[in-house]
Amino acid sequence: MADMNTFEQFIYYLSENGSYVLILFLQHFLTSIYGVLLAAIVGIPIGVVVAKYGKLAGPIITIANIIQTIPALALLAILMLGMGLGRPTVIVAVFLYALLPIIKNTYTGITNINNDLIDAGKGMGMTRSQVLYMIELPLSLSVIIGGLRIALVVAIGVVAIGAFIGAGGLGDIIIRGTNATNGTAIILAGAIPTALMAVIADIVLSFIERRLDPVKRHKKVATPEVQSLEN
Amino acid sequence: MKKLIALLACSILLVLAGCSSQNAVESGDQVTIASAATTESSIMAYMLRDMIEHYTDEEVEMINNLGTSTTLHQAMLNGDANISATRYTGTDLTGALGEEPISDPVKALETVKKLTQQRFDQTYFDSYGFENTYAFLVTKDMAEKYNLKTVSDLGKIAKNLQAGVDTSWINREGDGYKGFTKAYGFDFKKVYPMQIGLVYDALQAGKMDVVLGYTTDGRISSYDLVVLKDDKQFFPPYDASPLATDKLLEKKPEVKAAIERLIGQISTDDMQKLNYEADNDLIEPSIVAERFLKKHNYFEQDKGGES
Repeated sequence: MADMNTFEQFIYYLSENGSYVLILFLQHFLTSIYGVLLAAIVGIPIGVVVAKYGKLAGPIITIANIIQTIPALALLAILMLGMGLGRPTVIVAVFLYALLPIIKNTYTGITNINNDLIDAGKGMGMTRSQVLYMIELPLSLSVIIGGLRIALVVAIGVVAIGAFIGAGGLGDIIIRGTNATNGTAIILAGAIPTALMAVIADIVLSFIERRLDPVKRHKKVATPEVQSLEN
Repeated sequence: MKKLIALLACSILLVLAGCSSQNAVESGDQVTIASAATTESSIMAYMLRDMIEHYTDEEVEMINNLGTSTTLHQAMLNGDANISATRYTGTDLTGALGEEPISDPVKALETVKKLTQQRFDQTYFDSYGFENTYAFLVTKDMAEKYNLKTVSDLGKIAKNLQAGVDTSWINREGDGYKGFTKAYGFDFKKVYPMQIGLVYDALQAGKMDVVLGYTTDGRISSYDLVVLKDDKQFFPPYDASPLATDKLLEKKPEVKAAIERLIGQISTDDMQKLNYEADNDLIEPSIVAERFLKKHNYFEQDKGGES
């Protein structure tokens, strides 16, 4: 192998171990998704509650902020002491990191809605939950998705570190590369797919975010109507 | 609000489900293999996984990249894992069990087997067939020139030799450099502490005359190095074995049968080649393991029907 340069080694590595890299890629992606989904299930309701009861906003967002400042390696080590090794521990770490962007974006999304709209809804005789489901959540959806996007990109990075406590994922390949005597190509084979995953997740979710933006969505709905008039 | 409560309840259930899977490992319902961060350990872990999945219907979980054999031991005790891929008699004897080193390999294995059973309710299997111990290595030319076969043969020329050794070995108590000079009665002209991964290349490049390396490293066969026999049995034996908890083996005897098929099947030469494929040919341990097992047909004919 010594006669190949790093790039050739990298290509050779992928051709020999493609199936293995693919399995780890999926495993890595799923671990990130699980953590973020859990955080969404918990975080979005918290964000809604916080937006409704302004007094709670300060303390809860501060707690989420504090969690965010703990370095990933330290958080994993602390959780490992309580939960042991393996994937569940990493999923919980991802969950904790994903809370802040999700809570914060939900809170911002809902509090930024024009009060006139809510008043109009109430005037039409909507109940509080109707206002929430028919006005507030649809209008803040794109901002909430923005929170999920940030959370997922952070999660992919955290899962890479999770390989240190035996959670698998692409971090496994990176660690093996650091242990091998001549492991540059192996490190790249772990790092490049990880980076690629983060970039793709970011692009896909920001596309969804734009689609759900109320202003732009309105335009999309409007175009076919215009066409039908011309016909 | 009802929906909110339902969602919260779901998330709590999910978290609880995560915790209960941990208990499944401890009770032996779930097979989880732990391995250290070395290439050898991951190859053996994947081999065990493939064997168990080939012979049983179990879904095997893996915990990779654990730092040392102490971490492996802790993971077993905490119930994070119920199989260790590689345990070495010498390490376990002085590490996990806290006993005095025993230089006779057979006696060492017996002692480790008995004590792990008594103290931790774990079954220490017989060796895979390879040992990963320290050994002094010289190039083939050098061995022919001075007719070197054993470590004692080095004695007469040691005054002119430069030796490259593992950094952690020099100051180690018992089987370190001090103990070595006492046991063999000679010392080298100069001893260089090096990172263990570099000693093989240093020897090959002629920078060192003799080095201390690991017996299963793949570069031994590829560089055609000569392993000098430890004729005074100075280094304690480091035979590699799998280890599993009794709970798992009682609950699933078919897992035990699958593990036992690997016992005594992999020689030190085999392990050198497998390590070489992973470290030098850039093939992942999981694929190295799978190819090896396929080549040997998962050792089906060897112990068919037994145990």
